[in-house]
Amino acid sequence: MPVGVNRHLARSGIRPPILGRNVAKSHGCSSIPLHICGKIDFATASHLMNLGISAIEYVLPPKSLSVRELEQAGLLVSRAEQLRTFGFDRCYISEESADELAQRAAAALLDNCGVRPESVDLLLYAGAIASSHQIAGEHFLSGFNYPATKLQYELSLTRASVVGISQAGCMGLTYAVQLASDFLRSNGEAQRVLCVSADVLPNGVPREILYNVISDGACALMVTRNSPQNRILAHRAVTKGYYWDCIARKNEILAAYFPTATNLVQDLLSGAGCAPADLSMVLPHNVSYRSWEILLDLIGVKKEQLFAANISQKGHVIAADNWINLKDATTANLLNPGDKLLAFNFGFGLNWAATLIEH
Amino acid sequence: MRQTVLISGGTGMVGQDLLPKICSQPIVERVFVLTRRKDVLPSHRKIEVVRGDVTRPDLGLQCDLKQSVAQATTTIIHGAAETSFSADLSAARAVNVAGTEHMMRFAAGCPRLKAFCQLSTVYVSGKRTGTIREEDLEHNFGFVNAYEQSKYEAEQLVTSQAQRLPATVVRLSTILGRSLDGAVTKSAAIHYALRLFFHSLAPMVPGTKESPVDLIASDYAAQSIALAAFEQFTPGSTWHICGGSDAFSLEQFLEETLQLFYKNRPAWRKRAIEKPAIVNLETFYLFVRSVEELGESVLKNSVAVLKSFAPQLAYPKLISDASTQHVLQRSGLARPEIRDYYPKVIRFLLENNWEATPQEQARL
Repeated sequence: MPVGVNRHLARSGIRPPILGRNVAKSHGCSSIPLHICGKIDFATASHLMNLGISAIEYVLPPKSLSVRELEQAGLLVSRAEQLRTFGFDRCYISEESADELAQRAAAALLDNCGVRPESVDLLLYAGAIASSHQIAGEHFLSGFNYPATKLQYELSLTRASVVGISQAGCMGLTYAVQLASDFLRSNGEAQRVLCVSADVLPNGVPREILYNVISDGACALMVTRNSPQNRILAHRAVTKGYYWDCIARKNEILAAYFPTATNLVQDLLSGAGCAPADLSMVLPHNVSYRSWEILLDLIGVKKEQLFAANISQKGHVIAADNWINLKDATTANLLNPGDKLLAFNFGFGLNWAATLIEH
Repeated sequence: MRQTVLISGGTGMVGQDLLPKICSQPIVERVFVLTRRKDVLPSHRKIEVVRGDVTRPDLGLQCDLKQSVAQATTTIIHGAAETSFSADLSAARAVNVAGTEHMMRFAAGCPRLKAFCQLSTVYVSGKRTGTIREEDLEHNFGFVNAYEQSKYEAEQLVTSQAQRLPATVVRLSTILGRSLDGAVTKSAAIHYALRLFFHSLAPMVPGTKESPVDLIASDYAAQSIALAAFEQFTPGSTWHICGGSDAFSLEQFLEETLQLFYKNRPAWRKRAIEKPAIVNLETFYLFVRSVEELGESVLKNSVAVLKSFAPQLAYPKLISDASTQHVLQRSGLARPEIRDYYPKVIRFLLENNWEATPQEQARL
């Protein structure tokens, strides 16, 4: 696993800028995010506080299968060749449980970024599917055996409040980042929030959802006040409950995806005063590359700006894609300080979100 | 002179408004309605149903019948057409080109013929952009679909015989519904596309925000055709029955539609369905190709409808009706304004669950 981003930057001599909370007040910014008709907007104060993602770690299982192998194992709905044309080559399949993957990712994060466990103020634990939110057991009470609180104990996060995010589909970790920012803005003493997501599909279920190839995996990231990098400049999210039934409204969901995504991203960028041409990179959720070709054109961003390599090699790691991609782009030295990054995400529910980040 | 009219396509979208208009002309004493359909029998004292088929030589008429119709006919209004935008070229030509050829041959055998009125489409302009005028008869820019191409070829046939046939060409724009009450007598691609929008199955349309969406009212179309065929008939003329400068832009059209859905179905608002995104043609076809590869029948069918005609919006054009308006205004016919009747049509479609009304024989 690569070293933590903080440590990497410290070795590079990069020092975090320091801005006090009063800066936000002096600009008349509210510490309360706006929640209007399912839309969330907090493009206001977070960047003035240097709220950002200071470190990211992720864990993928050792076992991976090609789409051809998935097809042979009866784990696809479409033909392997079709999925290949959509940009997928392989995916990761875990024999560990989701909470085990989550613990490994979070432990690596704490270790690599040198954060004392007891300094974490809040743990947000996201999982897209129900089984990610309980430690399996025979007794019905095992439904109350939460991996989030187990993680708090195992990692000695003794001061951290613990909250699970369980009904946001693939948006869980993105919502965690957003909620972490809200939390830090509204709690003056709080310094950092550990956000974790982990999902492992049940054994034997198809590895394909809406023509996307799904990987198991876990990701942990730290949202920090005065982050030296990855400042969260703006964020937009929208939830459309009309599409809550992902089976009955499958066609409508496929049709709604593009216009909603386009409007959301355009709204985000215009609100932040950022032109599409100002973006250095788009951090995708790892859905089909074909769909990204279409969306990039709709939002006016060149295909070269998309960090696309992980779509084929890692597949769609449920809620973790954007942040795995941010980590990998950073590790590969593809980003420079000040680069504007767009992370776009989408999940059942139906939810869309876009985050503007300054590296 | 009293007129005897032969009309083909009388049971189609245009014909359903046109037939009553023709029958109401004092100068008209007989109307032969050429039809191959057996389920619809228009009823009016002037109407005589003639079983035939424009795709067949002699219109598929027995010799005696052909002779008697030909002897009597003074005006031909040829509207029969394959109007499906998804028809392949051979199927479209079989009706639209061969059908016109057969009708022209028939016309040549009509000793009393005074007027041959060819109903066409403003979209014979195909992939041309910019201003399209009535006098623009030829181009080589290509076509969006086989319907456009076959209607263009049919026009060429008619104009090539201008020396021998007293013909006029009436190019119609997309017919939306009746201006008076918004009634839609036959559903077409535009109505299906609106339905897709309502049901959140229309993700994107090709074009630009400014692309004109040219629509006309069916009653205006019928009145205009009647003028072109009778009172204002001029051999060699071409008419543009279109919205012209009154057309919505694509952006206006989508926004107006959204607002009308909100107004007529307040509960629809909570679905938070977005307007289709306006995209370039390349992106539209990439999406179409993706959907076609997926095998989702509902979405595939939706996209099939959109791709058959919506790419026309990617070739923005202003259909000019300057010459036509000059004549129509002189005749006291005003073009209904789209902003007045579009809300009626949307209300009609919603109240009728997107179904067209059955043919209204009572109006005859």
